[in-house]
Amino acid sequence: MNLYEFEGKALFEKYGIKIPKGVVIRRGDNVDSHFESLNSFDVVVKAQVLSGKRGKNNAIRFCSGKDEIKEAVEDLFSMEVRGQYVASVRIEEKLSILSEHYVSITYDTNAKQPVLIYSEEGGMDIEDVDESKIYKCLLDISNEKLELKDADFLGESLQHIFQSLWNCFLKEDCRVVEINPLVKTLENAWVAADAKIALDDDAFFRHEDWETFEPRTMMGRQPTDREIAVQEIDKGEKYYQGTAGKYIEFDGDVALILNGGGASIANMDALMDVGLQAANYTEYSGNPPREKVYQLAKIVLSKPGLRGLWMCGVVANFTNMKETFLGIIDALDEVQPRYPIVVRRDGPESAEAFALVEECKKRNSLNMQVFGKETSMTESARILAEAIHKQ
Amino acid sequence: MSILLTKETRVLIQGITGKEGQKAAQSMLSYGTQVVGGVRPGKAGEMVEGRPVFNSVADAKAELGPIDITTIYVPPFAAKEAFLEAIESDIPLINTIVERIPIKDTAYCLAAAKERGIRIIGPSSLGFIAPGIGRIGVVGGPKELADQIFQPGSIGIISRSGGMTNEVSWQIRKAGMGQSTAVHVGGDLLMGTTYADLLEMFEQDIQTRAVVIYGEHGGSYEFEIVNMILQKRFTKPLAIYIGGKFTKVLPEGINIGHAGAIVARGQGAEEKSAALASVGVMIAQTYEDLVQLVQPYA
Repeated sequence: MNLYEFEGKALFEKYGIKIPKGVVIRRGDNVDSHFESLNSFDVVVKAQVLSGKRGKNNAIRFCSGKDEIKEAVEDLFSMEVRGQYVASVRIEEKLSILSEHYVSITYDTNAKQPVLIYSEEGGMDIEDVDESKIYKCLLDISNEKLELKDADFLGESLQHIFQSLWNCFLKEDCRVVEINPLVKTLENAWVAADAKIALDDDAFFRHEDWETFEPRTMMGRQPTDREIAVQEIDKGEKYYQGTAGKYIEFDGDVALILNGGGASIANMDALMDVGLQAANYTEYSGNPPREKVYQLAKIVLSKPGLRGLWMCGVVANFTNMKETFLGIIDALDEVQPRYPIVVRRDGPESAEAFALVEECKKRNSLNMQVFGKETSMTESARILAEAIHKQ
Repeated sequence: MSILLTKETRVLIQGITGKEGQKAAQSMLSYGTQVVGGVRPGKAGEMVEGRPVFNSVADAKAELGPIDITTIYVPPFAAKEAFLEAIESDIPLINTIVERIPIKDTAYCLAAAKERGIRIIGPSSLGFIAPGIGRIGVVGGPKELADQIFQPGSIGIISRSGGMTNEVSWQIRKAGMGQSTAVHVGGDLLMGTTYADLLEMFEQDIQTRAVVIYGEHGGSYEFEIVNMILQKRFTKPLAIYIGGKFTKVLPEGINIGHAGAIVARGQGAEEKSAALASVGVMIAQTYEDLVQLVQPYA
């Protein structure tokens, strides 16, 4: 889960990293009463979005005076930043900047361990900074004390900040922590002027406090009701968590129920190749129980304006086809879609599963074609495209 | 010869008394793999599928003698401890199916394993199969299904996805070819054993004449292959499909598919394909195309 700047800054503060004094304004809040607590009209107004490059996209405004601030807040709420919905706005004191630096800790996938990246040149995209001006050091995950090689050029105060960042990275189960810019003020203090944190969703079980974060999506809008509903389904019983929790809505009109993380992305590609537009991205993996598949399928089928349904997955290793198909059948019995449906799937107990699907097709007079492993997934996408165009 | 396992390979199952552990025991035994025992703290003395259960890996090793591979079937929060137990007992190869292990725990275990020269395949790996010889984990599903999909042959298979390990193997078989070893490396951001590690083994393996890979957008592991080929450490025909072309329309940082497949600039499906094509790797447009690309070399 990616955090908004204000959430990231709150975590930095918890680990002793200084942040600018500020307030968060949500849509509909009374602006006056909020920023008056800052005791200053010389401020920065920043859109809170889950995306970088806010400066270049006019999502950060320097203001002096009440009217300017109010205008900036209003304006930010009326815009999208790189396709992202502005959930809230942070107003904070303007810093007196001596220099801007960059620091981050994340996982280096080649080395398979954390890496600290620092540059004296912050405030811009780290990708644009010359390689010679970037300091990198691989970190020992089993050592809570930060040990940096060839780091004498970093002053003691900076190393102290890095240690705090390392503490935050480890204790909060982060995938990424980034401060850009890390500001050195004219008063010689280090202040995190920005915060980018990605938490590791898989560590949720040891961070009960994460429950309190508001729902979010990176799709440039608020999560839809259906997206939120699917997250709820996936909560249920611990053992099955993560088996049926993915639902992202798109603008297209072909409903998708896919299986497995890998095959599903190959199938999204295949759908694009045959010229169809996905209404959603949805997959279930592993062995979700019937009830869970039913709820998921019902939500997928509830989107208005659908012109087709594609249920497509690999020859499963151990997903019980009968159990999962029963969930789908429950939903089809209820919704009885009139548009073309193409199913391609195989695996354990497939014969029973296919027989049940055929019965469901008959009793609901569905326009449905069902294929096993003799027909490839890509081929089934073509068949669906034909069926939709024939309508 | 296959890579990674032979008929003599002796296998332990950590978490053997659980639902998934029992399933794995049945799966491996049905395919002729030598499962010698299992571990579940507090359940020593029980039997699963006719195999003895021990309280710890160390106990199992003391009683059973050498163990070549251990497989871990425990809940995500217990995975780190299970890994460390196996590492301390110097089991040379660890495979785990466990999904959603916190990345911090994975990194910790990978570092500990590396220190002792221990190989981890996974996390989130269904395992691997050497047709006609044996299998680790549940790749291929029930025996009769596995027999429809897998037969001994000359194609090495590596996949980020468990389902696609099966699906690609099936397409290979359908075209009349067979597999030398099929490995599901797992879909996590940190991979214990990478494509490059396995390609080194396939390079040495006489049975393997060509290799196919099912890769995904995100992460940087495909770029390792480019270096290997430039350094002539891998010289056999290689065909690859990289899923996730559609993600170019999504915002950066969004996670679709497996955990490792986070959309990041410069690591999309198209960038990877271009880099690999530049060193002669055959790029498949659909996953079925992998078959035609390697068929001439089988």
